[in-house]
Amino acid sequence: MGEIDFCDPKYYTNRELSWILFDHRVLNEARDKNIPLFERLKFLSITASNLDEFFMIRVASLKDMVNARYGKPDIAGMTPAEQLAALDTAIHELVELQYSTYNRSLVPKLRQNGLQIIGRHEDLTREEAEFADKYFAENVYPVLTPMAVDSSRPFPLIRNKTLNIAALVHKKNSREELEFATVQVPGVLSRIVQLPSGNKGKKVILLEEIIERNMHKLFLNYDIVCAHPFRIMRNADLTIEEDEAADLLKEIEKQLKKRQWGQAIRLEVEEGCDRRLLKIIKDELHMEEQNIYAIDGPLDLTVLMKLYGMEGFEHLKAPGYTPQPVPELPSGCKIFDRIRKKDILLHHPYQTFEPVVEFIRQAARDPEVLAIKQTLYRVSGNSPIIAALAQAAENGKQVTVLVELKARFDEEHNIVWARMLEKAGCHVIYGLVGLKTHSKITLVVRREEDGIRRYVHLGTGNYNDATAKLYTDIGLLTCSEYIGEDATAVFNMLSGYSEPLMWNRLSLAPLWLKDRFLQLIRRERKYAQEGRPARIIAKMNALCDRDIIAALYQASAAGVKIDLIVRGICCLKVGIPGVSENITVRSIVGNFLEHSRIFYFENDEHYEIYCGSADWMPRNLERRVEILFPVEKPELKEELLHILQSQLRDNVKASVLGPSGAYEKVSRRGKSRFQSQEAFCLEAVEKARAAVEAEAHMTRTFVPETHHETGVIG
Amino acid sequence: MGVKTFAAIDVGSFELTMKIFEFSGKNNMREIERINKRIDLGSDTFAHGKISREKMDELCRTLKEFAEVCRAYKVDAYKAYGTSAIRETENSIVVQDQIAQRTGIRLEVLSNSEQRFLDYKSIASRGESFRRIIEEKTAILDIGGGSIQLSLFDNDTLVSTQNIRLGVLRIQDYLSRFDARAGRREGIIDEMVLAQLENYKKLYLKDREIRNLIIVDDYISPWAVKTMGKDNAAAVLKEDEFEKLMEKLRTRSAAQISDSMGIPEEKVPLVFISAILIRRIAGLMGVENIWAPGVTLCDGIAYEYAEKIKMFQGEHDFEQDIIACAMNISKRYMGSRKRAETLENITTTIFDSMKKVHGLGKRQRLYLRLAAILHDCGKYISMVNIGTTSYNIIMATEIIGLSHMEREIVANVVRFNHSRFTYYGQQDGVQGLDRESYLTVGKLTAILRLANGLDRSHKQKMRGLKAALKDNRLILTVDTQEDITLEKGFFEAKAEFFQEVFSVEPVLKQWKSL
Repeated sequence: MGEIDFCDPKYYTNRELSWILFDHRVLNEARDKNIPLFERLKFLSITASNLDEFFMIRVASLKDMVNARYGKPDIAGMTPAEQLAALDTAIHELVELQYSTYNRSLVPKLRQNGLQIIGRHEDLTREEAEFADKYFAENVYPVLTPMAVDSSRPFPLIRNKTLNIAALVHKKNSREELEFATVQVPGVLSRIVQLPSGNKGKKVILLEEIIERNMHKLFLNYDIVCAHPFRIMRNADLTIEEDEAADLLKEIEKQLKKRQWGQAIRLEVEEGCDRRLLKIIKDELHMEEQNIYAIDGPLDLTVLMKLYGMEGFEHLKAPGYTPQPVPELPSGCKIFDRIRKKDILLHHPYQTFEPVVEFIRQAARDPEVLAIKQTLYRVSGNSPIIAALAQAAENGKQVTVLVELKARFDEEHNIVWARMLEKAGCHVIYGLVGLKTHSKITLVVRREEDGIRRYVHLGTGNYNDATAKLYTDIGLLTCSEYIGEDATAVFNMLSGYSEPLMWNRLSLAPLWLKDRFLQLIRRERKYAQEGRPARIIAKMNALCDRDIIAALYQASAAGVKIDLIVRGICCLKVGIPGVSENITVRSIVGNFLEHSRIFYFENDEHYEIYCGSADWMPRNLERRVEILFPVEKPELKEELLHILQSQLRDNVKASVLGPSGAYEKVSRRGKSRFQSQEAFCLEAVEKARAAVEAEAHMTRTFVPETHHETGVIG
Repeated sequence: MGVKTFAAIDVGSFELTMKIFEFSGKNNMREIERINKRIDLGSDTFAHGKISREKMDELCRTLKEFAEVCRAYKVDAYKAYGTSAIRETENSIVVQDQIAQRTGIRLEVLSNSEQRFLDYKSIASRGESFRRIIEEKTAILDIGGGSIQLSLFDNDTLVSTQNIRLGVLRIQDYLSRFDARAGRREGIIDEMVLAQLENYKKLYLKDREIRNLIIVDDYISPWAVKTMGKDNAAAVLKEDEFEKLMEKLRTRSAAQISDSMGIPEEKVPLVFISAILIRRIAGLMGVENIWAPGVTLCDGIAYEYAEKIKMFQGEHDFEQDIIACAMNISKRYMGSRKRAETLENITTTIFDSMKKVHGLGKRQRLYLRLAAILHDCGKYISMVNIGTTSYNIIMATEIIGLSHMEREIVANVVRFNHSRFTYYGQQDGVQGLDRESYLTVGKLTAILRLANGLDRSHKQKMRGLKAALKDNRLILTVDTQEDITLEKGFFEAKAEFFQEVFSVEPVLKQWKSL
């Protein structure tokens, strides 16, 4: 047997196809009968919004490549055209499954539970129809803009992602040829319209059905021959996805003329749509047959998220979870004092994000704080962090904020509050040329008795108090001098200064991070070759970097036991003899979005554990500023290891990748049910309760106040 | 709070550096911030003599940012020094003024010897490692953008220092003008270096064997510190390890070198030049160990400040270095060691007894000693114009640890020892000295002249000289059996100027002890 080429494309899965599998796993949640009905709606809705984004970013990008005649094969050896072809089949299957889930499982189940969705306006009772028409006249009609097409009026612009109703019409009492007309379903109105239903449960109909029913009122001099909703997706206004190679950019620049901006790349129409009507749309939008999706049900299932919000069905939803207080940081404590005592690990959303906000708030008010520096990627609207930073600047502290404007879809939103920070006197850096800043780091410089001390927060998730309730993330609060020095260096670099002579603890992408990971993986391989214990556990969102995967294959071949917890895309294949027999891959899709990145390396029984902002993707390792930080305090390492081990134990929400490339739910084989997210919730509650009790116990002795605090923090 | 925060700013030829230090207690110094910004001022200055407007804007913008950072750290004091790129700009005072106006930072220009002295101080501040190294024959090679500085140690004292215009940026500038092919570069640099170093060797090195070479540069040192770890004592390269590095620099592409050495790609050619310089010089001296402590000018600036606020006390005696340097110069110009010692003795005796009258301090006492040691070095060139030739020799010879102004003081004291004293503001008076320094020159000249008169015969009759100030008289008692008629005569002649300066009448008494 010859030497194995670990980079051979046959050992890799195409990332787009792997992504489809991920959406399937989310869809599985919608199909899981053990999950509360309304949660299933939510999952189905997520699959739809995921798919929309996938089209706009990934499919659009592939189309660009094909248009530019860019034929370089991907990691799995597929050319863009081949990928598109494979995707067409895979996406059609996915969509079919989405709608069969909707029609066969969810709609009947909803009706059983007292929520009836009327799919076709033809099914309305007379009273309901009257209500609908009245609703149309009062609320809908005034905001509609019907458009007809004839020789003097060109085909109208159909906006990306909007829902529209197309109709074939002809002039009343004439035998003239059919004309095309269209109207956009207004986004300003709720798409779900509740019908009067007495007390026999609830009944709803979708807005487009009401409009369709009243089409004739929009085109008074015409007869409506047929009317059907449709929706398109364009690759308009999108810059080239940064994930692709730089040579692609050049290629596309050269072929710029050939690129059809705003080209429609997907058309969804109601199943059974009139063929003459479909032909007009298809021709006008230059749609190819394979990009047309005939939909059996409502277009754009993201509407289900709205349905989820309907009142009166709380019993069909998962009970809400309140993020728990962090025992080391009880509310009202002086955070800096606490951090000085020891490093503190935060596990969101099981534990509240509040201490992170409070960390910045206290820094803003503390007279001894000299400077606050932070990177912000995606923040919530009305962010308390932004308010605290502005406050700090007004209090005369040096505040430096790196605002990443290139965060997908968030640009405009980000600019508004970035300007606000500038006004308050913060030094705002608008990202770096050619690099996205994805790292999550905050540095507080404080002048203390014995000199400058630096407090640092490092995280795997964005500084976003809203998503911190949904995304699982790790945060570390520390005043380690080494990390403090590195953090200072990070911000100096982000401000355009040179790299420091050396890094103490942090590894930075795009400079050294990939090398660092490769080193760590190789070290395990070396130990395995020497017959010493060697193991890697890595948890991340996506794995598609060829160098890393090849290194993992080599390590596996050398005998390193590798367990990967990869939520989404995974280009690595398991179970290939001689290549990846020692690797397992599992994906956990649960109520919370798995988002933390944790990396465990056995290191000959002196295990090391790292957290960071980067996935093992080329874009993270090569085109973003990312930070990997070690967690060094033994008790915190144990906590992180416990998180990884719990996820490896999960037999409810985990799906395991098989040698065939398919994911399957873990078989329980008589083991008791264990769901890691649920367990983390319980643990956090327990920890918080124990802390309260300990506190209560402590306060049975009185502490006389010996001096009057002149501190700032109440 | 006993903590002091200090910012040291180095406006170098290739980059701007600011380091912020925290001093808490004696000899307890912590670097809390280091910012580097690459601005290549040197190539403008060395090629055109002026800094371009674009660079000037960038310089001011960066200094303004530095000032912001200083403000954020609430620093107690700062020092901003410009080195050769600023020094050699034709309009350096305009540059300084613009910087002050636009950024609020007062940029001072360091003379070469001041700059090297600061570098030297920062090496010496490494304490134990430094002391251990200079126990053996050692040289310091301080590589700058415009020039290099070679200093030699003998018996743990610095004995000579020489500036050679072979700075890394200057060499690069030449190379680009010669349009040297990559393969030929090393040869060309070698030739350039050798031509200059041959002379150096003849004059200074002679047969001296040097074992250790201490490197101060911004090119190889960062890499050395990075590879050898933060413990500076460990950053010693053996000769063969250095050869390996050279091989790497020769054979790999800039990108590969940048990658493997962890340095920015645009710095690679400079690292290469620096490495060739080190290798050449090490070869010339027969060096076995190369120590790169990774100190920078900023460290030196900080030590200087720490000394001033009495938060740092180095172990090394820098004054001894300066004296040793002066002795060496005197030796080169055939000065008599004995006579120098006698004169030094007499001058310091007089100086010490006159403290109340002259009001000068320790530093001025050093000038006087130097002047005594160098008092007639010009004889080597001309027996007639000793004043002028001595002055010229001193001004043309670097004495590490003395600023340009200080050197001017010493040289003038020596000059006026031989020629008529011209007063401050007089037409043919000395240029470039302020009032205060001028007064110092006058006072020291008066003492040196008096002392010179006392040793007129060059026979060192004045051993055991005692001086005592009584009312308005300085009583000098000599304990000698010899005839001192000649001395007495000259003494009275010299006493006039002394009286004029101090309003003290010197009186010479002979006491013949049996």
